[in-house]
Parts: sequence; structure tokens; C-alpha cells
Amino acid sequence: MTSSRRQFLASSARLGVLLGAGVPLLNACGGDGGSSRKKQTEPIADGLPPEKGPLRIINYADYVNPEVVANFEAKYGVKVEISTIDTDSEATAKLASGALKVDLHHSMVSTSIGNLIEGGLIQPLNRSYLTNRGNVLNAFDDPPYDPGAVYSVPYTFYGTGLGYRADRIDPAEVEAQGWDFLWNATKFKGQVSVLDDEREAFTMAMLRKGITDINTVDPAIIDQALADVTELIDLLNVKVNIEGYKDIPEGTTSLAHIWSADLIGGAASYLPEGVTADVLGYWHPPTKQYVVNNDMMGVLANAENPVLAHLYIDYLLDNDVSELNFSWNGYLPALTKLDADYVINAGYVPENLRNCVPTNDDIAKGLRYKALGPDGDALYEAAWSKFTAGG
Amino acid sequence: MSAPTIVQVDPMGGRPPRTGTWAVFAMPGVGWLIALFVVPVYAVMAVAFGSVDPILRTPQPAWNPLAWDFSAMSSLLDRVFGGDLGKVFLRTFAFVFLALAGCVAIGYPVAYFVARKASRTRGVLLALLVLPFWISYLMRMLAWTNLLQQDGYVNRMLQWLQVMDAPRNWLDGDWPTVVIGLVYGYVPFFILPLYSALERIDGRLIEAGRDLGASAFRTFLRITLPLSIPGLMAASVITILPMMGDYYTNSYLTSGSPRTEMVGNQIEYFLRGSSQPQTGASLVLVLMAFLLVLMVYYLRTTLKAQRESER
Repeated sequence: MTSSRRQFLASSARLGVLLGAGVPLLNACGGDGGSSRKKQTEPIADGLPPEKGPLRIINYADYVNPEVVANFEAKYGVKVEISTIDTDSEATAKLASGALKVDLHHSMVSTSIGNLIEGGLIQPLNRSYLTNRGNVLNAFDDPPYDPGAVYSVPYTFYGTGLGYRADRIDPAEVEAQGWDFLWNATKFKGQVSVLDDEREAFTMAMLRKGITDINTVDPAIIDQALADVTELIDLLNVKVNIEGYKDIPEGTTSLAHIWSADLIGGAASYLPEGVTADVLGYWHPPTKQYVVNNDMMGVLANAENPVLAHLYIDYLLDNDVSELNFSWNGYLPALTKLDADYVINAGYVPENLRNCVPTNDDIAKGLRYKALGPDGDALYEAAWSKFTAGG
Repeated sequence: MSAPTIVQVDPMGGRPPRTGTWAVFAMPGVGWLIALFVVPVYAVMAVAFGSVDPILRTPQPAWNPLAWDFSAMSSLLDRVFGGDLGKVFLRTFAFVFLALAGCVAIGYPVAYFVARKASRTRGVLLALLVLPFWISYLMRMLAWTNLLQQDGYVNRMLQWLQVMDAPRNWLDGDWPTVVIGLVYGYVPFFILPLYSALERIDGRLIEAGRDLGASAFRTFLRITLPLSIPGLMAASVITILPMMGDYYTNSYLTSGSPRTEMVGNQIEYFLRGSSQPQTGASLVLVLMAFLLVLMVYYLRTTLKAQRESER
């Protein structure tokens, strides 16, 4: 009886805090990761049978084709439950507090996966379950965020560049001016957006000035980047969001700082009737200055269904499954087979957006974000708060 | 003939009031208040004055007040008073003040009409006033983003009425759009308590005013308006409080323009998108302190009005 009363009090307190102050505060009341299950610090053993599920996944909304999920359920006779998140930090907070019991993190990012590993939230993968791992582009064999790819497998990858309406903007001008074009686009005031992401926005400003150390924590460089991005408020009445994927195809935005995969998805889903993908254009810097990123999947250290989680990852690395997924959401899988030629010939990507598909070379030689540490994060976040406050 | 004697009747029949019984009735409310106000506010304070996990960047609340660290609050106050966040607070106050003015301009006549004039259609009108609550606030804001598009119905209508020659880009990050959105979103919250106050005004007082020769306008000015002040205050408080913490109206209607950033957006960023939840929690406390000033003013005014009416 004592333990149930204690459980009741704990649940009540959590409920009260959740209702009153939201997840970050619930997280504050959380313990050591929540689950009483032992954390897995070594890869699981070979040859284990899959658990009965349900397989619980944490992911962004609409990030995976429901048909793919349904097919996995049918293949393994299990249920898949997806808890959605809006931001990466929300996912970390929920997982760290134990507020959510999850087997698989579907969308980790390079700037925080290091924290998840160091914090013991994810477990090393057992590759004997990942029979399709060989389909992955070899540039992901030893990624900087997870040396040796011990803990993660890439889900989707993308570059960061400028998306624009090619029927309003001359592609040759964008090509000639590069990032400067954004600062010069006063003709399109009110129709320009930058990514709602401090690292991406300040990196753009740094690259414009020729600074390629995109993981710098030099306050002077960050301050200069803040000043440069702040200029855009008066110059362009710039918007700060991640909605270029629909705003450019719909025509409400003419120029956007954008993730390349978003433009591919937007071309497939958001062009008004009678408008072809010819109206879209994308520019990115040369390979050595091109920021290429990827989301990655990993298994939680306290997963109750670790074998099933491995099998799900392996399922998504299958070429056909991945193609089915890509055909629905437009997020490029990091698989060798689905390169630019393949996805263009198959009709998923229009030829004029060929450069939205990063190459193996782009990943191997391009710029990659790294975790900055608490002080570095604080510098970028304080600067971002100033920018979004109006400068 | 002697003067009539006034006999005072004790409704309790001489028995002392059983206050304990009434205290029991108050317990659910007190419990509710403790669980959903006192505990969450203390949790906010514990986060604001706590630390952050250096690896996972999750908040490490300081439940013991003796261990509170005020550094995040101190840097935040520097930014609020004289720094960049001061601008955000002023902008938020301006938006909320303008939206409140809009609510008064639209809501008062509507509430007055429903309460005093629409005797037969009152039920239908009240139902219509409640109707917006049936649809999610976010859905209604999304609907506005479509209406306000350059080729949307608002521009078409204004051009058809020849108010404008060319379509206006309502969604390009200008403040009027945010104020319109706030008025639209919160005006039902304003009308309902005001209606309730106006409906309770004794009609005989208004009739007396008219019988004594005052015009309809003068009667309204000297009788109805003063008697509706407590309702007006209550309606204002009910709308101001959520508007001050609003962050989705401007996000939806201006696509995240830094020119329309409100305090709620900064809170959301620090609590949900950053590694500094203690700054977000501190911002919540600062906003609460500002709102507390408003609440104290409201309570003092209503208490004063109550005392005067009891004289």
C-alpha cells in the first residue's frame, strides 16, 4: 500500500505541474531518466527474438509515411506508437525526465546526439540486426557527431541554401551573389524568410563573410553575425520560420533560407494547381562551404523493445521501403541507391532541383555542425533571443 | 400612538454560525488552487533559481530556497530594464492595450445590446457569442492566415469596396495584423463577463433617469456606464491576462517576424527551444510580477466599488 500511495502522490504532483507549467517544468521534477529498467550501455546480444511491442517511437509529426509504419506492423505483427515532438530540446527533455517511455528516437540531430550519448540516453547499436546498413552512403560510416557510427544511423539528409521563385528571381543573379543575394533582395521586402534556427541563421551570416569555422564560440564573430542578421529586419522585413517549403511554392515568399529537402517536399505537395516546379530554384555554396546535415535514428538505453527498435531501423534502410517513405514525405534517405539520378528519373525530384540532393562528396567534404557545449550554446541562444526580439 | 418597533430577526435562530461546515465547502477550491497554482508557481521558481544539467541541458530545479541561484534572473532583469527585452515588453503592452481598446469598442456595444435590448433573441445571441469556442483557437488563426493572404477574401473585399487600389500584404509582419488577431481571438472572453454585469443592472435605475428628464445618452453616461465599470474591469482582466502570454497569434499571423515578437514568444523559445530553461522560467516570473500589479489595481478598484455600493 505504501508504494501505491507514493506512486499516487508522485503522479498527482507530475500532473499538477504538467497542467500548470508544461513539459519543461515536468522535466524539472523528473528523476534519473524515469524508467526503472536497467540502462543498456553495451549493444544487445546477437540473435535475440523480437519483442511483442508495442514499439514506441518519438518523432516529429508527419515525418514518416504511415504506409511504411503500417507495413512494418503487418510484417512483425506488432503495434507502433509514435509520440510527436516539436523541437529537439523538447525530445531531450521528455526522454531525460522519463516523462515518456520510448524505444526509438527517430530524429536525433548532430548538435545534440553527443549529449544523448554522454548522458547515457541511447545505446550502442548491434549491427548484426542491421542487415541493410550497407545501403547507407559511405560518408556516414564515420560521422563527426558519432565516430564510427556506433549509436546512430542516418534517416534523412539535406543541405542548407537559398530557395527562391525562379519566375521572379534570375538564377544567374543568385549564383553570382551567393549569400549576399539575401541582403540585396530589397525588391522582395516582406517576402523573404530565414530559418528559425540560431545555428543556421548565424552560420549563413558567417559564411557570407568567408568564415568557415561554423562551430566557433568566439563572441566577436557571433556578435558580428547577429548584427548582420539583424540588418535583415529593416532591409527586408524578414520573417523567421521554417515554412519556406510551402511559402515558396505557394508564392507568398520569394526567397528563403531553406533546407534542400524541404524544397523537394514543397515541390511535390504545395505548388498550386497549374503551376509547375519550374518556378522553383535552389542555390547552395560550393562543397567546401556547404553545410550538410542529417537526422538520425537511435535506440534508447532504457528501451523495452530494443530488438524491435533495431528491426525498425533496418526496415527503414531497405531501399524499397525507403523509396516508399521518400515518395510520401520528400525527405531524402541517405542511401546509395537513391541518388540524384535515381530520384530524378523516378520522377520524385524535378531536374531543376537536382542540386537539392546532396552528394556523398558534399557530406564528406562539406561543413558539419558540432555540439558547442553549454557556454557556446548560451552565446548563440542569447544572440538569437536578441535577434528575434527585434535586434 | 407609539412609534412602530422594528424587530430584527436572526436567520440563524440565535445559534452561532457553523463556520466549519462552510470551510469544508471551500476545501476543493483550496486544493485545486494549491495543486494547479501554488505548486506550479513554486516549480517555476525552482527552475528559475535552479541550474541546468551540463550534459542534457535539462533544468535542475532548486527546491530548497536556501540553494537558489539568482544569476539567470539578474541577467534577465538587465535585459528587461534597459536592454533588448525591454523593447519586447513595451511592444507586448502596446499590442495588448490596443487589442483591449478594440475589444471595448466592439465588445461593449454587443454586450449592451444583448443584455439590455435583445430580450427575445437573447438566447440565440448568447449561443452565437459562445460559438467561436467550439473551434480551436489555432484553427481560427489559421483561417485568418488564409483570409489575409494577398489574394484572400479580406483584400478582395477591400478592393471591391474601393478602400484600397492594390492588395495589402497583411501577413508581412506588421503590428496591425497582430492587434486584429488578438481582438478577434479574445473578444468573446471580453463580451461574456461584461454582458453578465450589464444584465444585472437594475432597470428601474435607468427608468428613473429617463423619468427625471435625462436623455438616453446622458442616462447611459451617468447610470449604465458607471454601474458597468466593475464588469468592464473584470472583462479587461480576463482578456489581458491570456493576451500578455500569447505567442501563437503573432507567430501565425506574421510568420515569425522579429518586429512583432511578444514576451510569450521569448518564454516559449527559452523553455522549449533553448538550453536555458532557467531564463524562460525567470521571464515567466517577471511577467507575473507585471501582471500582479494589474491584478492588485483591479482588486482594489472592485473592493472600493463594492464598499461604495454597500453604503
